[in-house]
Amino acid sequence: MIGVGAAGPLGVSHHDADRPRGLAVVTADASRSAPVERAAWISLASIPGIGPVGFAAVVRRFGSAVAALQAPPAEIIRQLPRSDAETDDALRRLQGVGWPTVAADLEEAARRVGGAVVTALDPAYPASLARLDGRPPVLYVVGHLDVLALPAVAVVGTRRPSGYGLSAAADIADEIARAGVTVVSGLALGIDGHAHLAALDAGGRTVAVLPSPIDRVYPPRHRDLAARIVAEGGALVSESPPGRQSGKPDFARRNRIISGLSEATVVIEAPDRSGALLTASAALAQGRDLYAVPGPIDSMASRGCNRLIADHQAELVTSSASLLHRLGLSVRRPQQAHVVASLSDTEGLVLGALIKRSGSIEELGARSHLATSELASALTLLEARGLVASYGGVTFHATLAARRIVYKTTELL
Amino acid sequence: MLSEMLSATVLGVDGVPVRVEADVAFGLPSLTIVGLAGSAVQEARERVRSAIRNCGFEVPARRITVNLAPADLPKEGTSYDLAIAAAILGASGQLGLAPTRRCALIGELALDGSLRPVPGTLALAAAARTAEVGEVIVPQANVREAASVREISVRGAASLGETVAHLVGLRELPAAVPTPIPSWSAPSGVPDLGDVIGQPLARRALEIAIAGRHSLALSGPPGIGKTLLLRCGEGLLPPLEEDEAVEVSRIHSVAGLIDRREPVIRRRPFRAPHHTVSTQALVGGGSRVRPGEASLAHRGVLMLDEMLQFRADALDALRQPLESGIVTIARVGGALTLPARFALLSAFNPCPCGWRGSRRHACRCEDGAARRYVARLSGPLRDRLDLWVAMDEPELREEPDGAEPSSVVAQRVHAAWRRQVERQGVGNAELQGALGADAGLPVRLGGLLQQRGRRFGLSPRRLHRVARMARTIADLSGSDEIRQADVDEALAYRPERAA
Repeated sequence: MIGVGAAGPLGVSHHDADRPRGLAVVTADASRSAPVERAAWISLASIPGIGPVGFAAVVRRFGSAVAALQAPPAEIIRQLPRSDAETDDALRRLQGVGWPTVAADLEEAARRVGGAVVTALDPAYPASLARLDGRPPVLYVVGHLDVLALPAVAVVGTRRPSGYGLSAAADIADEIARAGVTVVSGLALGIDGHAHLAALDAGGRTVAVLPSPIDRVYPPRHRDLAARIVAEGGALVSESPPGRQSGKPDFARRNRIISGLSEATVVIEAPDRSGALLTASAALAQGRDLYAVPGPIDSMASRGCNRLIADHQAELVTSSASLLHRLGLSVRRPQQAHVVASLSDTEGLVLGALIKRSGSIEELGARSHLATSELASALTLLEARGLVASYGGVTFHATLAARRIVYKTTELL
Repeated sequence: MLSEMLSATVLGVDGVPVRVEADVAFGLPSLTIVGLAGSAVQEARERVRSAIRNCGFEVPARRITVNLAPADLPKEGTSYDLAIAAAILGASGQLGLAPTRRCALIGELALDGSLRPVPGTLALAAAARTAEVGEVIVPQANVREAASVREISVRGAASLGETVAHLVGLRELPAAVPTPIPSWSAPSGVPDLGDVIGQPLARRALEIAIAGRHSLALSGPPGIGKTLLLRCGEGLLPPLEEDEAVEVSRIHSVAGLIDRREPVIRRRPFRAPHHTVSTQALVGGGSRVRPGEASLAHRGVLMLDEMLQFRADALDALRQPLESGIVTIARVGGALTLPARFALLSAFNPCPCGWRGSRRHACRCEDGAARRYVARLSGPLRDRLDLWVAMDEPELREEPDGAEPSSVVAQRVHAAWRRQVERQGVGNAELQGALGADAGLPVRLGGLLQQRGRRFGLSPRRLHRVARMARTIADLSGSDEIRQADVDEALAYRPERAA
């Protein structure tokens, strides 16, 4: 836990002491009958139409999941906020097959993809989720379970980011990961995927909360990324049972798990009506800190973020360093300064200009008075050395590595 | 009695000599044309009958057989009319008993015996030269076109009667003055680079593409000047070399696109087919093979605006010309090869609504739809496009930024092209294999190229292309040796940056 401020707002070290591990709401019933009740939870939570709210209502009404599953389906359905024929069918089938078998099958299905089932009855259930309203009763987790107990910050944003958004996501996730804190996100294309990737590249841990079951990772284009997250000490989390078709509501529902697993949520870039704004309101509802990265006022992709800041719902992030400071984290700087490969005057000029402000070749040309051909070749060289990145080919950014080098050199001077 | 005349047909873009034999024999009066003659040739019977009669000769009331040899080559069009009529006259003894002059006959007959122009005369006259006859008679209107072929005496005739008078030596037709190859002048009515706002990288990529005949792909939202920029390319093209001029003119002559009074083209072609074009119209084909837009763009530019709106099979058909500079068309009787070496200039929107990646507008496309849209560009085709630039809206500014006008850029491009022609005879994009020290790529830079390729994940094919682009960039700055900055600049246009 090096790097976490002892008295910082994250207060990770207090987690274990302050909160009873695991069960919070239905303690009385759950403590009575550990393995059997646990199996009943797994099978009851797998019924389509029984969400976290319905689940809690059913368990409250019948005293335990075991008792509930012995009741006629109509009785159970009466407790649900809404239901359809599918729920009724699934309950009848469950009672026909026998819920212990269904639970064992689900556990086996999770094991087949290298995962495990964690119920809110289990000690391994993440403490950060345990006290939330609408916590998922059952989680399917692939990877390292204990990661979920470590301090975490969510980094989320739109699936259609600008180059600025991608660069900001990479910077912030990189800094958070280097500070030893887990980066939580939703594995979506765009900002989410970039945040996961930057955390991994920084040698950190990251957790992906999936909208789909763990046996069918969504989006398919991020399957390799998901595998890498697990291989490098992170985890994939889902509340959908293996084999379930995921639908639109699953995408909205997982947002509360992203914010719930995290002490703070950072919205990098979100247009109006972005899914990331759902995560933001979930974070606020859960009483977690919310941060937003401001964007240009003419950028569609930043409208949601700018509004969160304007409405005083999110705190404005001025730099990744200031964010870490607010979170009470400090970055572990690499001990050795990077070796600065020699740059020509032109390359130094271009890099210097980009560190001041990212921009297109057109803007760089106007600022530096260099010819387009010179700019183009200097940018390729800087890109090859990892000092400059471009997302979408229009806007160029100085990478964190470049800024660290310059930081070091100015320090030396 | 038997008689033989010489004519020619067009196969692809080349002329092929055709022998027209006529035999007049006893039997019921008839006129039969054999030798894979198409419908226009069959109808020649009626035109020939009327023309012969109206010129004061007669069609013998015998069994007349006309054979077009080689008999296995399909024949189309009306250019054999004159030769058929002359052969019939010869076979029926109306040209006298003395041997007639050896010359090739090309032209369509009107019913009154006058001659009408035919397309492709340039290629047909060239065929007559290969058949080693010293003369070719063509319709008056086609004389300047045919006379741009050297080493053959071209004579224009107004009618069948004049032709016969020449053949029998009664009244010689005057030999046409060889058509001079005109000097080059810059095209007019083409947009100027000086009027393009911003987009420095795209302008530079256009300059490189035209200079080395590389292919260019611009992506970006609608209305930011992609089309305008591509159209500016026409004003940068260097003049055609003289031998190229005759070759290009021949292709345009076959397609019937030539100005008959000024038949030799000196400006490089700039073809911009609409995106609804069929595969056949794009690369050529059809029952009577005609050159497509790809061949009409030979030695010039093929511009595909809104490239992703083109039919997928049409785009895929461009792979062969992009790779080897030719189009092969499979026919029943074998394959035909048409030349098609052009610089492909293309532009497309990054998604169906066009706004993906733009800062000021929201994209309204589903992710899947946008991905499928860009996926219309198949991997192999993508691999063959050299320069990629992603464009966005230019920064707002009060007045134009004094960008270089086309005339200045064109000077650099023309000089770079001359360097290539003098060094290697072809454009840099057409160089074969890996570039080495003889092409001005120092060994040290070969290593750097490999290193950059690994860093950016580029295929060996892509690296070869990068080296050729670097060669062009060096040529633009007048350098014999490729420098590191040239290689790095060429790498700035890799596809990963733009799509």
